[in-house]
Amino acid sequence: MALLLLLSGCANSTGTKNSSAEKNEKVEGQPKQGGELTYALATSPDSLDPHRSGLAVAVRAFRTIFDSLVVQEPDNSIKPWLANEWTVSEDGKSYTFKLREDVTFHDGTPFNAEAVKYSFDRIIEPKTQARNSVALLRPYESSEVLDEFTIKINLSTPSSAFLSNLSQAMLGIVSPTAAEKYGDQFGKNPVGTGPYKFVSWTENADIVVEKNNDYQWGPSIVENKEAPYLDRITFKIIPEEATRIGSVQSGQILAAETVPPQNIVSLKNDPKNQLLQVNTIGLPYTLFFNQRKEPWNDVRARKAVQFAVDVEAIVKTLYLNTYSRAWSPLTPGILGYDKSLENSNSVDLDKANELLDELGYVKGKEGIRVKDGRQLTLNYVDGTPNREKRNDIAVIIQQQLKKIGIKVEINITKDIASIVQQNADYDLYGNSQVNSDPNALRAFYHTTTPQEEATIKRLGGGSNPELDQLLEEGTVELDPAKRADIYKKVQQKIIDEAWIIPIYVFPYTVAATKTVNGIKFDPLGYPLFNDVTIK
Amino acid sequence: MAFANKILLKISTALVSILGSLILVFFIIYLLPGDPVLSMLDPATATPEMVENLRKELGLNQPFYVQFTEYFTNVLHGDFGQSLVNSEPVLPKILEHFPATLALTIASAVLSVGIGVTFGVLSAIYRNKGIDFIARLIGLFGISMPTFWSGILLILIFSIYLNWFPAMGSDGWATLVLPSLSLGFVGAGLIIRMVRNSMLEVINEQFIITLRAKGLSERVVMYRHALRNALIPAITIIGLNIGELMAGTVVIETVFSRQGIGRIVADAIMAKDLPVIQGVVFFSAIVYVIVNFLVDLSYAIIDPRVRRSH
Repeated sequence: MALLLLLSGCANSTGTKNSSAEKNEKVEGQPKQGGELTYALATSPDSLDPHRSGLAVAVRAFRTIFDSLVVQEPDNSIKPWLANEWTVSEDGKSYTFKLREDVTFHDGTPFNAEAVKYSFDRIIEPKTQARNSVALLRPYESSEVLDEFTIKINLSTPSSAFLSNLSQAMLGIVSPTAAEKYGDQFGKNPVGTGPYKFVSWTENADIVVEKNNDYQWGPSIVENKEAPYLDRITFKIIPEEATRIGSVQSGQILAAETVPPQNIVSLKNDPKNQLLQVNTIGLPYTLFFNQRKEPWNDVRARKAVQFAVDVEAIVKTLYLNTYSRAWSPLTPGILGYDKSLENSNSVDLDKANELLDELGYVKGKEGIRVKDGRQLTLNYVDGTPNREKRNDIAVIIQQQLKKIGIKVEINITKDIASIVQQNADYDLYGNSQVNSDPNALRAFYHTTTPQEEATIKRLGGGSNPELDQLLEEGTVELDPAKRADIYKKVQQKIIDEAWIIPIYVFPYTVAATKTVNGIKFDPLGYPLFNDVTIK
Repeated sequence: MAFANKILLKISTALVSILGSLILVFFIIYLLPGDPVLSMLDPATATPEMVENLRKELGLNQPFYVQFTEYFTNVLHGDFGQSLVNSEPVLPKILEHFPATLALTIASAVLSVGIGVTFGVLSAIYRNKGIDFIARLIGLFGISMPTFWSGILLILIFSIYLNWFPAMGSDGWATLVLPSLSLGFVGAGLIIRMVRNSMLEVINEQFIITLRAKGLSERVVMYRHALRNALIPAITIIGLNIGELMAGTVVIETVFSRQGIGRIVADAIMAKDLPVIQGVVFFSAIVYVIVNFLVDLSYAIIDPRVRRSH
C-alpha cells in the first residue's frame, strides 16, 4: 500500500542519489530556506472556502491554508493533527476530541473547541450552501464545547468513515472571526491554521500564499512539522496543456499538474525535469449501467457488454500505459480493496453474442441486433469536454460494441443534472470520485429512500437487498479487518451482477524541474508543500 | 443641422440595439436546456427543500414578466446579479477583467491595421511583384490559421524554444506580444485583401489620372488621395473586425492563460453560471455598439462626402 508513491523521473540510480543528498542536508541540519514555487493548476478553483468548494483543483490550493483535526496515514490509520487524542463512545455515536493548545489562525484568532464547533455547524447550516463537505460530515448532528480545548461531537448514527472523512481538506477548520467577517466572500479571503497564509487571488491568473512563520503543528505524513521552507507559492492557472507543460520545460515556472499521457512518457526521460505520479483513491472512472431501462435491467445484457468492451485496449491506446486499469468499484489503496478481482474477466465476443441471442435480439441490417422491431441501441452519456480523454473512451466503446450488434449513440453534454440525475435518460454513464473511505460506495450503490429517489436519482439504479445490508454494515462496523471483508463482498457483488464497467484509476501527475525537491502527496493524492525546497 | 440629425439617428439606433441585446440576454436563461438550480447544487447532497429555497432566493419562482422587470431595473442600476459559483457581483468582476481584454483587443487591432494597411497598399502599388505575393501569402495565412493553433505555435517557437516572450499571464507588455500577434494576424489577413482590392479600384479611377496629369508626385497621389478613398471600405471591415477580435479573445485568453472577459465567459459557460454569461454578453454588446458608432463617425471625418450627403 505504498500510497506515497513518489515516482522520480529517472529510475533507481537518481533515486538513491537524491536520498543521499537529502541525508547530507540533514547532517548539516539545514534544508535550503526561502524561494518561491510556481505551480500551475489545470483549471480554475471555484472557491477557496473548504466548505463551499466541490472541486479537486480547489483542494490543491486551499490544503496549504487549512488544517484538519486528524490525518490519515497511507496505511489508512488515523493519526492526530489539530486534535491530540480522541475517544469514541460505546454506541459509536459520539467522539470527544482533545485539541492542541498552541495553535492560532492566520488572523490571530485562537484555535479552540469553539472554532471547531463553528466550522462544523457552518457546514450543516443550509445558508452556507456547502457542497461536498456536507456529505463528508454526515451523520454529524451537533457539537458540545466541554472546555476550551475539548469538544464532543455527536452523530445521529454510528459511522466508521467519520474519522477518515475528518482528515479531508473539505472538513478543514476555518477561522470563525474571518468567516463571520467575510460572509459568502470567505472563499476569496480564506483564513485557516495551515502552513501557508493566503495573500491574493487574481481570478484566472494566480493564487498566492506565503509562509506561516508561526506554524509548528505539521501532520505526521510530512517531515517538516514547523514553518515551511519556501517563502511563497504561486499557483498559476494555465488551462491549455501545451502551455502548461511547455512553461515547465522552458523553465518559466517550476511545476505543473495534470500531465497529458504523451508528455508523461517524454518527461520520464527528460534530464532537466522530473515526473511525480500518484494514484488517487476513491472510486475509479466507472461506467454505470442504467438498470431502470431495458434491456439493462437484465444481468445478461450487462454481461454481454462487459464481455465485449476491451478495457485493456482502451487504457493502452488512450493513456499509453501511463494510467492503470481499474477492476473494482474501488481503487487500489483504499480500505477493503479486493485485489482478487484483478484479471478476473476477459474479452469474449462469443459469450457476449450468446447472451444477446438468449435475450432474443437478432442481428438485422448493418449487423445491428433487433427485437420486436426495435434496434438494440445504447445511449452513452458523458458530461465532460474530453477530460482525461473520456470522450475518446466513448468512441472506442462504440466501435467495440458494434461487433456484437449494439448501436452506441454518444451524447456529450454538460447538462448531467437534468439528463442523468433528474430524468435518468441514459444507458451508460461514467463517473469517478476521490474519497478516503470505502463508505463512498454507499452514495452510489445503496437503494435510497423513496423521497430522496424522487429528486435525485442514484447512478445505475440497481437494487439488491443483500448489497444494501452490506453497505449499511460497512458504515457502522468499527473493526477495520471486518470492514475490509464486508467491502470485499460488496465489490464482488457489484462486479458479479455486472452493474458497472470499471475503466481506469486516475493518476495525479506533476511535472517539475529537477530543482524542486520534497513535493509529497497525501493518501488521496493531493500535493503537500511542507517539505518543499528549491535548489 | 443635417449632420446633427444623423448623429441623433445613429444614437437612437444604438440604444435600440442595446435594448434588443438586453432582451436577448435575458432570454438566455429560458433558451438554455436544463435547470440552472439543479446544476448549482451537488445532486448527491441536495434535498428538495434546498432546491426550492435556492429557486426562491434567485427569484426563479416569480412569473416571467416580474423577473424581466426586475432584471431590467437592476441592470439600469448597474446590478448584473451575482455569480452562481462564488456569489461575486458580476459587474465589478467584468470591470476588473475588461482592461486585459481591452489591451489585447487594441494591441491586436493596431497590429492587424498596421500590417493590413501597409501590406494592402504595397501589394496594390507593386501589383504582381514580389512584395504582392508576400502580402497575399500573409493574408492567406492570417485568414486560414485558427487562432488556437497559431497561438500554440507561437508559444512553442518564441516562448519554449527561443524563450523571448512569456507563454502565459497578463501583466506587462511582454505578455501582450504573442497573443496579439496570433489574434492580429486574422484581422490583418482580411484587411490586406480589402485594402488591396479597393486601392486597385481607386487607382484606375478618373480622378487619379487627373491628379497625375496635373503633375502631382506619385507619393502624394497614392498616399494623400488614393489611400484616403480606399480606406472607407477598409474601415467598415476594421469596425467589424474589432467585434471578431473580442470574440477571438475567448480562445486566445485561454491558450495564453490571460485574464479577461473572454476567459470569464468561457468558464461561466462551462459552469452554467448564467448571471455571469448574461453580464458578459450584454457588456460586450454595449462595447460592440459603441465601436460601431465610432466607426460610423470616423467615415465622416475621413470622407467629407459622407458628412454632406443625406
